[in-house]
Amino acid sequence: MTTGHLLVSTILVPLVGAGLLCGLSRLGRSVVRRTALGVTLVTFTLTCVLVARFPADGVVGDGFGVTTWAWFGAEAPWNIRLSVGLDGLGLWLFALSSLLMCTAVLVSWESIDRDEPLFYAMLLLLEAGCLGVFAARDIILFYICFEFTLIPLFFLIGIWGSEQRQYAARKFFVYTLAGSLLTFLSLLAVVFWVAQHTGRLTFSIPELTASLRTHPLQPVSWQLAVFAGLFAGFAIKVPLFPLHTWLPLAHVQAPTAGSVFLAGILLKIGTYGFVRFNMAMLPDATAMCMPVMLWLAVAGILYGALVALAQRDMKRLIAYSSVSHLGYCMLGLFALNRLGMQGGTLQMINHGISTGALFGLIGMLYDRYHTREIRQLGGLARRLPWLACFMLVFTLSSIGLPGLNGFPGEFLVLLGMFQRAWGDAPVVESGQLHVISVLAVSGVVLGAWYMLWLVQRVFFGPLREPRAAAAHPITDLKRHELAALAPLAALVVWIGMHPAFFLQRMAPTLDGVTAVTQESLRNRAGSVARMPGAPEPDVAQVVRQEGSTRVR
Amino acid sequence: MFVDLSTIGLVWPEFILILIAAWIYVGGTLAPGRTTWNVLAWSTYLVVFLVMLKNERALWHDVAAGLVAINGPLIVDYLGQVSRYGCLLLGLLITMIASRAGAERLATEVSGTIMMLVAGLMLVCRANELVFLFVALELISVPTYVLLFLGRADRASGEATVKYFFLSLIASAMLLYGMSTLYGVADGTTVISGTAEVPGIRGALDRLPAGHTSLFLIGWVMVVCGLGFKIAAVPFHFYAPDVYEGTTNINAGLLAVAPKVAGILALIRLVLAVVPADAAWGWPLMWVLAMLTMTWGNVCALWQQNLRRLMAFSSVAHAGYMLIGFTVALVAPAAGGVGATLLYLTVYALAGLGVFAALAYLSDERHEVDGVAELAGLARSHPWVAGALAFCLFSLAGIPPLAGFWGKLALFTGAVRVVLAGDGGVSSWLLVLAVTGVLNAVIAAAYYLRVIGVMYFTAPVTRVAAPGGMGAMLGTLACTLLVLVLSVWPGLAFRMADAADPLLRQARPAVVAAWRMEASAAFAHDGDLAGRWQKGGD
Repeated sequence: MTTGHLLVSTILVPLVGAGLLCGLSRLGRSVVRRTALGVTLVTFTLTCVLVARFPADGVVGDGFGVTTWAWFGAEAPWNIRLSVGLDGLGLWLFALSSLLMCTAVLVSWESIDRDEPLFYAMLLLLEAGCLGVFAARDIILFYICFEFTLIPLFFLIGIWGSEQRQYAARKFFVYTLAGSLLTFLSLLAVVFWVAQHTGRLTFSIPELTASLRTHPLQPVSWQLAVFAGLFAGFAIKVPLFPLHTWLPLAHVQAPTAGSVFLAGILLKIGTYGFVRFNMAMLPDATAMCMPVMLWLAVAGILYGALVALAQRDMKRLIAYSSVSHLGYCMLGLFALNRLGMQGGTLQMINHGISTGALFGLIGMLYDRYHTREIRQLGGLARRLPWLACFMLVFTLSSIGLPGLNGFPGEFLVLLGMFQRAWGDAPVVESGQLHVISVLAVSGVVLGAWYMLWLVQRVFFGPLREPRAAAAHPITDLKRHELAALAPLAALVVWIGMHPAFFLQRMAPTLDGVTAVTQESLRNRAGSVARMPGAPEPDVAQVVRQEGSTRVR
Repeated sequence: MFVDLSTIGLVWPEFILILIAAWIYVGGTLAPGRTTWNVLAWSTYLVVFLVMLKNERALWHDVAAGLVAINGPLIVDYLGQVSRYGCLLLGLLITMIASRAGAERLATEVSGTIMMLVAGLMLVCRANELVFLFVALELISVPTYVLLFLGRADRASGEATVKYFFLSLIASAMLLYGMSTLYGVADGTTVISGTAEVPGIRGALDRLPAGHTSLFLIGWVMVVCGLGFKIAAVPFHFYAPDVYEGTTNINAGLLAVAPKVAGILALIRLVLAVVPADAAWGWPLMWVLAMLTMTWGNVCALWQQNLRRLMAFSSVAHAGYMLIGFTVALVAPAAGGVGATLLYLTVYALAGLGVFAALAYLSDERHEVDGVAELAGLARSHPWVAGALAFCLFSLAGIPPLAGFWGKLALFTGAVRVVLAGDGGVSSWLLVLAVTGVLNAVIAAAYYLRVIGVMYFTAPVTRVAAPGGMGAMLGTLACTLLVLVLSVWPGLAFRMADAADPLLRQARPAVVAAWRMEASAAFAHDGDLAGRWQKGGD
């Protein structure tokens, strides 16, 4: 099987599985959920093969596993194609999607007790959509997958959510759609700008990116307008402060699996879009907007952290911590240098793993106690030692304990930011960049505060349980719950101990993006900010040093 | 203008339809009964469709190569050809959905009248002469009045019918007034797109000395107003919510589709064809109409609790989207605005008809499904109907990868192309239009989602029976399947829409040049029918 076929079948397996589940609707619950798990496991296995085949140095040239079919007919003027392929940026998010879907199915194992076939079919459709987003090489195919994810999630929140689920589902859908339709206009503008200037109508993302390097969108005001359109969709998806208001509501109302996948993957579509489109296609506008974007990112970090501190509901707390963590991702990406970009991308993966797992854990607590109120719980470590143990691991991962995955991500992000502020900043903004960097570091402290405080209140101290819970026995983690959490915990340690494995594979693609934005930044500063030819610090080296410090 | 046997030869399907319709009327009084006559109606559409397909193979080949023939009051081109088949299909679908419409003893009147209406639609597709176009449009309006009367026997229905009747008359009068002004200005020619020998309105105007513009403009605006009523563009939409609410779901479906198809085709044939290429006054009117129509329609739909009122405002809003295509076409003929409108119209018609078919399946003459709340819990009681309804509503909302998205893609593509062409003021106006368009799509999503939410997220309040019968179910299924096919394989539809765009055809000189050689070949195997090829479009 060629890599291309493998990639296509990885995306198609969940689609077929969804169809199968609709057909199986008469069968019992256990058949349905086992089928769903089987489908996700097959998808995950195929993804593992893909990751294993991905070149270790990350150099993929024109893309990895590229497969293209003419969708509209080969000779049509509308050259929209079904084209998929992976590169260093998409690979890990693609892999994470197929891993987190296994988790999502496992955490729903017992908590979903009605309309299971439709539920799992929707989950699988969601998975197919997300895999499509990260593998799409055609701009329209990307947009289709990007928007399509709204439909299954709308049903997941609306049918299986909590009390305010109808309102949450509609708000989520409409809010996200509002942004993404403006994104749609911008994507069309990019396509037709290139068509006007090269005389060839193409929807291929790599071709568009390459053409925009030789014919950048001019004048800059247009580039800014297109940037703003793209921003509307992606910033809502991320969500960037102050466009985050849909997120806590959607998270709290969604069923556990929905929250896991929403936090783990769907938010990353926003950051992914920023790198893939805003930075790679509109470098001049990116350079101009950098300070604004950094301010928004740091505002999100601090605002999310402070609001998380004040939460009484565990799920809301984690939802606001997502706002904060995604702020780090954006901060790293918009530092627009090698360290920050790699850190931001690694942080996307980290946040997907740890927050996905945290949402899963809170869902497990909710299944046992039917409450998410922090006040009603306490000292659970004694009652649920394994659950508490996993909670601690993912909390520590989330606050960036060295040795776990949060550390290399956050460290690289901050390193990148400091390098941008003190190392290679355009002269004009260095003052505000200094302030941003310092504020961003304080976010780390706040992050540790609200997370550890949460663990302390819920898992330590005297035992406190809601009275209603006494009716049925409270048991520790069951097998399926263990199976949901263990792989994520292993990954937390793996990334923490050996981030180079992940960084190496994404580096060349990200360097391509960084090179373009760096050039625009230099042009903007009017002079070469750094000595020409001076190499940027090697990330692998930094990571190695950091590793050795840790060992000592 | 010259009518001979070849003209008759071109419109035989319409004749057959009218004859069979008359036969159904007469026969129905002698041998009442629904099923027989419905089967006859269905088989008529099918047989005419198939025979047309077989007989017109050479014609298809020629028009696909971009040929245009003027024959008497008819224009034979790709647009006319494609849309005629589309209208037949529409007729089949509507007859299916309406197979249990009205009282038992009036059943034949319903299917016969629908057939008349379809014949009218097919004539509009190829009308190239003012009087002919008007008569064809009336052949749609008059059966509509009858159908509205046949729908239900209560006060609301009567009010709706009378309202539609009088407003439609006013609109027809406006259209006629505009047409006669055009006739007067254009030196007494009634041909719309002319040839070298027979000048069309445009050609006649070009030959006149300057100074007729203002009168011409009055006529043009009048025509736009008259046709604006047909497509329910704001401010000519006032009848739509009341009439839809007052009539049955089946009739509402018919009103949402048939006049709109006719209006859009007539706008393409008449309004676009007579505008000079360098006119700077055409697009602002369309721009204003588009902005008003989509925004007003969508905003009003947000608050509706009655399903048919909601769909009425939504159909108003969709007319607004289609006007984006006309705006683009008037600014830049080569940007594919008309093709986009045609694609959008197809997708809208199928999905909209699907929605009404599903509602018709849930209703009968004793009880029509009215309120949004009546659909509560439909996903549990009738999962397949709810699924089809949700599918069509998502498509109307334009969520990818459903067909509605392709329509929006085509429309916004045109707008973006004009914006990027960067013609100063026009470009920024079109940008405003495009952004308003996408924001409107968000508003639209809000109310479609409300309906879907009621079906899927709430528990049933009353038991919804589904007395609508097999025909309505088949209609729902067929519409949903067609939308699905268009969603998955949009390529062919895009190519056909582009080929049907008459403005694009004029902008493609290569095809026109290749015409003569092909025409002689066409003559060889088509004999007299297609023998009198003329180069169209002045």
